[in-house]
Amino acid sequence: MESNLPTNSSIDTWTESLLCVKGLHKQYVRGGLWWKRVPVAAVSGVDFEILRGQTFALVGESGSGKSTVARCVARLEKPDSGRILIQGTDIAQFHWRDLLPFRASIQIVFQDAVTSMNPRFSALEVIEEPLLIQRQRSQGEYTPQNRRDLVRTLMEEVGITPDWMNRSILHFSGGQRQRLALARALALRPQLLVLDEALSGLDLSTQAQIANLLLDLQATHSLTYFLISHDLALVARLADVIGVMSRGQTVEVGQTQQIVTNPNHVATKKLLASAKPTASNLTALTGEST
Amino acid sequence: MDDSKECFAQVRELTVAYYPENGAPVRALDGVNIELRAGDIVGILGESGCGKSTLASALLRLLPPHARCESGTILFRGRDLLNLSEKQLRALRGLEISLISQDPALSLNPVMTVGSQIGEVLRAHLPIDAQQRRERVTELLQEVGFDRSDEIYSAYPHQLSGGQRQRIAIAQAIACRPALLIADEPTSKLDATLQAEIVALLSQIRKQHGTTILVISHDPALFAGFADRIAVMYAGRIIEVGSSAEIFGRPLHPYTQALVRIAASSVVTGSSTRFQFPAIEGESPDPSRIPIGCRFEPRCSERMDICSHSYPREFMPEPSRPVNCFKYGK
Repeated sequence: MESNLPTNSSIDTWTESLLCVKGLHKQYVRGGLWWKRVPVAAVSGVDFEILRGQTFALVGESGSGKSTVARCVARLEKPDSGRILIQGTDIAQFHWRDLLPFRASIQIVFQDAVTSMNPRFSALEVIEEPLLIQRQRSQGEYTPQNRRDLVRTLMEEVGITPDWMNRSILHFSGGQRQRLALARALALRPQLLVLDEALSGLDLSTQAQIANLLLDLQATHSLTYFLISHDLALVARLADVIGVMSRGQTVEVGQTQQIVTNPNHVATKKLLASAKPTASNLTALTGEST
Repeated sequence: MDDSKECFAQVRELTVAYYPENGAPVRALDGVNIELRAGDIVGILGESGCGKSTLASALLRLLPPHARCESGTILFRGRDLLNLSEKQLRALRGLEISLISQDPALSLNPVMTVGSQIGEVLRAHLPIDAQQRRERVTELLQEVGFDRSDEIYSAYPHQLSGGQRQRIAIAQAIACRPALLIADEPTSKLDATLQAEIVALLSQIRKQHGTTILVISHDPALFAGFADRIAVMYAGRIIEVGSSAEIFGRPLHPYTQALVRIAASSVVTGSSTRFQFPAIEGESPDPSRIPIGCRFEPRCSERMDICSHSYPREFMPEPSRPVNCFKYGK
C-alpha cells in the first residue's frame, strides 16, 4: 500500500485510522467537602489521530493532562465531551457494559506495574485475569489448560521463563514486573496498547531492554502504540508521530523528525531544551558526533 | 583539622548487611571505598538494588534496625561516624550532613506549613529567636528560587507541585549550611524540565557555599556536566571511579561502557526511529545469591575464564582511576 510517510518499510498499512480523538474535554473536581469543591480542567481540547501500526507519543510536562487523555482513551475515565473513535465507533459516552468488547482491543500499561497488580497473585493469575474477565465473550473458549498454555506463550514472548509462572509477583524485579504487565496487556491480543509512562522509573539498562521488547512485540503482532511520556529524548527513538501537550491542550502534532528539528510551539521548544543540555553534555563528553 | 581539605570524608571498606526476619542475611554493601574532597560534587551511579541508597543511609547512620554495619569506617572531618552516640549523631544530622530524599511528598510533614518545617531544622541546631528564624526561612526560600516566599511560607506541602516540594526539601537540607549534602535520587520523580532546574540549583549551592554534594542516581545523563567525579556501583561494590569526563569519554569497566552507550543513544537526534537500543542483557544478581566471581560476569560481553571464579581487585590502569576488572590486570 502506498504511504507517503518516510519511515520503516515494515509498515505498509498506515492509512487506516485506528484511534481518533476529537475535542476531548475532561474536568476533575478538587476539594473534598462540597462547598469547597472547585472544578479543575485537566484536558480542554485534545485532537489527534493514530493510524494502525503507528507509534504515537503524547509528551508534555507533568500536569499537562497527558495521563488524563490516556485514561480517557482506555475509558477508565468518562470524558465530559469530545469524541473517541475506535475504528469509527465513538466510545466516549459508552456505558461500561457496552465497553467490554472494546476493552479487549485497547489495553493500558502503567508506570508502576506493582500497584496495578494484586500482590497476592502469582504471575499466572496476573496474566490470565483479563481472560477471565472477558470469559463471557469468549464463550468458554478458555479452559484452565488453554489459559495456562497461553500464559506460557505470553511469558516467553516478553522474555520471562514460564517456569516462574507460579511465583508470587512480589518475587519479580521491577523490570520483570513491567514485562509481566506487558504480557497481561497482550493476553487479549489488543490492537492498541496505551503505555502511560511505562518506561519511566526504570533503570537505564532495564529501560533499554523494555524499549527493545516493545519494538520486537510491535513487529511480531503489528501493534499500535500510544505512548505517554515526559521524556522527549526516549520517545524520539520510539515514536513515528509526536503530539505535544501543554495546559490540557495538544499544541503541536507532527512527525518525530519535524518536532525534534523544527519545533513550532513554545512548549515543544521548552521540552527539547530540557532534553538537550544533558544530551549535548553527553555528546561533548563521549566525543560522539551523532 | 588541617587535613580536612585533603580528606574531608572517607568511607573505607564499608560492609553493610540486612538481616531479614526470615531468610538469609543480604549484603547490600561489600567493602565500599569512597573519598570525598571538600567542595566536590560526587555522583554515585548504579541500578536499583545495587546498594547506593544503603550507602547514603549509612553515611547518616540512618539504616533501618535490621541492617548492620559489619565492618569498615566512615571518617567525616576526622571522626568515625560509626563510633558516635545517638546524641552526637542528632547534633550532626542537619547541621553538618543533611539528606535530600527521593520523594519529598513522603519526607515532608503534611500537617505543617513549609515555613515552620524549615524553621524546625534551624530551631534544632541554632540559638536564634522566632523572628530571626522567620527571616532566615524567607531568605532560604528565595535562595531555592521562590519569588513570593511569603505565600510559600504558609503553604502546606499538598498545595505545592512536585518540583516545588523538592525545592522545599532542599531549603530544609541547606538551612544550617551543612558541609556535606547527600541527595538520594533528587530528580527521579520529576520530569525533564524540572530535573534541569534542580541540577542547576544544586550546582549553584555548591558554588555559593562550597558545599560538598554526594548525588545518587541511576541516570548517567544527570551527571554529565554536573558531577566532578563519578563512582559506578554494581551489586554492592564500587567498580570504577573517575572524573565526569573520564567516565563518559573513556569508560574502563565493561558495565560502565555499556551504560554510557545506552545514555548516548537516547540523545535527541530525530534522524531515525524504531531501531534497537544497545541494551545490557540480563539482570543484576539477586543480592542473596551473589556469585563468587565478578558480579557483572554473567552479563559481560568481554568475560574471561578467570571472571567466574574470583573477584577482581582494584586495578589502577591510569592515575586515580581505580577499576575492578580483570581486563586491566590479573
